[in-house]
Amino acid sequence: MNECHDLKYISKNKKQGLRVIALAGNPNVGKTTIFNGLTGLRQHVGNWPGVTVEKKEGILKYHDKEFLVIDLPGTYSLTASSIDELIARNFLLGSNADVVVDIVDSSSLMRNLFLTMEIFEMGIKNVIIALNKIDIAKKRGISFDVKKMEKVIGVPVIPTNAKSGEGVEELKAMISGMAEGKATTNPITPIYDEPIEQEIGHISGVLSETPLAQWYNVRWLAIKLLTRDQEVIKLVLNYLGPKKMDEILIHISELERYYKHPLDIVIANQKYEFIDKLMHQFVIHFGEVHETFSDCMDKILTHPLYGIFTLLGVFYLLFKFVFTIGTPLQEFLDNTFVSFGQLIAPHIGNETLRGLIVNGIIGGVGSVLSFFPLVFLLFVAMSILEDSGYMARAATVMEKIMRIFGLPGKSFIPMVLAFGCNVPAIMSTRTLEDERDRILTMLVNPLVPCSARMVVITFLTGVFFSKHKALVAVGIYAISLFLALLSALILGKFVIKGEESPFVMELPEYAIPSWKIALIHSWERSKEFLRKAGTVILFGSIAIWYLSSYPQAMGSGLSYAEKLGKVFEPFTMLMGLDWKAAVSLIFGIIAKENVIATYGVIYGIGENEEALIMLMRVAMTSLQAFVLALVTTLYIPCIATIGAIRAEGGNKWATVAVIYNLLLSSIIGVLVYNIGLFLGL
Amino acid sequence: MVILMYVRLSQMREGERGTVVDVRGGHRARQRLLGMGIAPGTKIVVIKTGFPGPYIIALGSTRLALGRGIAERIIVRREQ
Ligand SMILES: Nc1nc2c(ncn2[C@@H]2O[C@H](COP(=O)(O)OP(=O)(O)OP(=O)(O)O)[C@@H](O)[C@H]2O)c(=O)[nH]1
Ligand SMILES: [Mg+2]
Repeated sequence: MNECHDLKYISKNKKQGLRVIALAGNPNVGKTTIFNGLTGLRQHVGNWPGVTVEKKEGILKYHDKEFLVIDLPGTYSLTASSIDELIARNFLLGSNADVVVDIVDSSSLMRNLFLTMEIFEMGIKNVIIALNKIDIAKKRGISFDVKKMEKVIGVPVIPTNAKSGEGVEELKAMISGMAEGKATTNPITPIYDEPIEQEIGHISGVLSETPLAQWYNVRWLAIKLLTRDQEVIKLVLNYLGPKKMDEILIHISELERYYKHPLDIVIANQKYEFIDKLMHQFVIHFGEVHETFSDCMDKILTHPLYGIFTLLGVFYLLFKFVFTIGTPLQEFLDNTFVSFGQLIAPHIGNETLRGLIVNGIIGGVGSVLSFFPLVFLLFVAMSILEDSGYMARAATVMEKIMRIFGLPGKSFIPMVLAFGCNVPAIMSTRTLEDERDRILTMLVNPLVPCSARMVVITFLTGVFFSKHKALVAVGIYAISLFLALLSALILGKFVIKGEESPFVMELPEYAIPSWKIALIHSWERSKEFLRKAGTVILFGSIAIWYLSSYPQAMGSGLSYAEKLGKVFEPFTMLMGLDWKAAVSLIFGIIAKENVIATYGVIYGIGENEEALIMLMRVAMTSLQAFVLALVTTLYIPCIATIGAIRAEGGNKWATVAVIYNLLLSSIIGVLVYNIGLFLGL
Repeated sequence: MVILMYVRLSQMREGERGTVVDVRGGHRARQRLLGMGIAPGTKIVVIKTGFPGPYIIALGSTRLALGRGIAERIIVRREQ
C-alpha cells in the first residue's frame, strides 16, 4: 500500500491522458466477460468466484475514441477483509476512474446492490449499472422496470447478457457519453436510523476540519468508523490524534450498547432494508425460490461420500482424457523431431554447427516441444472444469478433508490450478480471506506437479517403466500431493500458526462449458509453454550443449558440465544421482522442462528413440530414474514460481519456500533411494 | 411439541424458510457474511442441512455453502 496510511491507490494510467473506465462488482457476476466484450480481449473467465485477482487493463475503442478499461477483482463488499477487496477499494477511493461500471447479477440483485450502495457512499458519482445475467433473471421469473430503476437509483442502468453480447453496444455508448460528461447522475445513498445518522453527522463534522475532507468523502469515513474498519481507524487516527479518536470510539461503544449489537450488523441490516424498499419500486416480479436441478446436483456433489467419489472420478477422467489423446500425439511429434534431426544432420558440414543444431537445439527444445499436446490438453480439461461451475463444489466437498491438514476447502482451487501452472495458482490464493491460509496455501502449492513437471514425469516413466509407466507416474503424483498436504499440516502447526477461518463459499450456477472458450483459453495459457520453449529452454539447451561439449566432449571428464555436475555430485549421489542429473537439476530451476532438455542434449537426438532409451537405461537404473523424477517434482520451484510467491507473499516466504522445498526433496530423495536399494530395486 | 420461532440456522430443516435476525461471531467473519448477503433481514431457504456435509442455503437465486461453525452463528426467525 502507499505510505503514510493513505488508503488511496493512484493508477499510473491516470497520467497517460486516457479516460479510465473501471469495472467493479461482486465475484462471478460477469465482469471479465463484459471486459472482454468492451475491449475485444480474451481475459480468463471462469465459473467460480475469484477468477480475476489482479487488475486487468485493456483498451475500449468506440467510434474514434479510446478508453482505458480496468477489470477490478470481484468483491462482495468494500471492507478491508481480503487483499482483493482492498485493491478494489483503494482503487475506487483514489478516484482513478472517470466512469465506474458497476456490474450486478440481476438474478441476485439485493445482494449485489449492497456493493453499489457502498460505491455510492464513497461519493463516486459517475456510475453506470450493468444489469448483467439478465437471461438468468428472466429464466427465474424475475423482471424489472428499468426506466423506473434508473430514476430510483439515480444512475443509468443497462440490462446486459454479457455471454451473448446483448446490451454491450448500449453500454459502450453510455460509457463514452458519461466519460465526456454528457450524463448527469444523482446516486441515491442509504439513510440510517436517527441515532446512527446523528453520530455520522457528529463524526463527519469533526472530520471536515481535517485535511482528510479534501481527499475522502467524510460521510463514508464516518460510516466506516462506526463499523470499526481497521484501515479507516488507522487513517483517521493519524489526523485526529488519540484523544479525539478515543472520544469517537466511546460514542461508538455507547451506540453499540444502545443497539445491543456491533454497528456493522446494524448498518448492514439497515442498508439491506433500504435496498429492499428501493427494489420494491422497480422490480416487477421477484421470482420464487424453489429447488432447482442444480440444487439436486449439489446435494450429491457436496455429499462427503458421493461427492468425494465424484471428485476422484472427475480427476481420473481428466487425466485419462489428457493422456489417451495426448500420448500418441506426443510420440508422433517426438518421432518427427528425431527424424528431422537425422534428416538434416548429414547436410551440415561443420561439426560444431551440427552438434549445436542437432543435439543442442533439436535435441533439447524438440524433446520438450513434443509434449505440447499433453500440456494443451491439460489446460483444455481444466478450463472445462472451471467453466462448468464444478470447481466451487470440489472446494466445498474438500473442506472437511483439507481441514485435517489445516487448510480451508477453498485452497483446493489453487491446488487444482497448479496442475496447469503454479504461477496463476499462487496468484489465485488472493481470494483466501485469511492471511495464514493464504501463505500456507502458497507455500505448499509448488509441491503440486505442474504441466512442466508432468512432462518430466511422463518422459522418465515412459523411458524406464514402459509397462507400468502410468502406475509409476500416478505414484509420483500421489507422493507429491501427499507431501503437499503433510507439509501444510507441519508448516501450519509450527511455522505459520493461526486459527481456523470459517467456511462460506458461493456455489455458482452450473453452466455448459463452451468448447470455443475452452480452446481459446487453453491456447492463451499454453502459449506460455511454447514461449518458454523458444526462450529459456532454447537458451538452456544451447548452454547445456556448450557445457557438455567444451573444452572437450563429454566422457572425457573434462567438459564443463562434468566439472559443474561433479561439484554437486557428492551430495546428489546420496540419492543415487550422478553429475548429469545434478546438471539437469540446476538447469531445471530456470524451467523444469530443462531436466528433459538436458538429457535430450547429452544423449543426442541423432540417435533413434530406441537407442536413446537403451543409452539412458544403461546410464541409470529405474530406481535412479524414479528418484530423479520425484526430486525434480519436489525441489526448488522454478524461477517464475519463486517470483510469484515473492510478489504475493514477500521475500521472506519466497525464501522459506525455496529452503523448505530443497530440504524436503533432499530428504525424500535420499530416503526413497536407500529404501529402494535396500529392497533390491 | 413447541416450535421455536428463533433458531440457529444449524437447527433448521431442509426446505424451511426464514429471515436472518442476527449474525454472531468475530468482526472479520461477520464482515464476510454481511457482504455476501447474510445480514439481519435477509430471507433464506434451507436447501440442504449439514448432515452430512455442508449447509446450503438460497438467498434469492444465489446459493451459499456454509460450514457448521458459521451455521451456528446465524440466528433465523422461522417462517410458518
Ligand atoms: N448466463 C449468463 N452467464 C454469464 C453472463 N455473464 C457472464 N456469465 C458467466 O458467468 C461466469 C462468470 O463470469 P466472469 O466474467 O468470469 O465473472 P467475473 O465477474 O469476472 O468473476 P471474478 O473474476 O471471479 O470476480 C462465466 O461462466 C460466464 O460465462 C450473462 O450475462 N449470462
Ligand atoms: Mg473476472
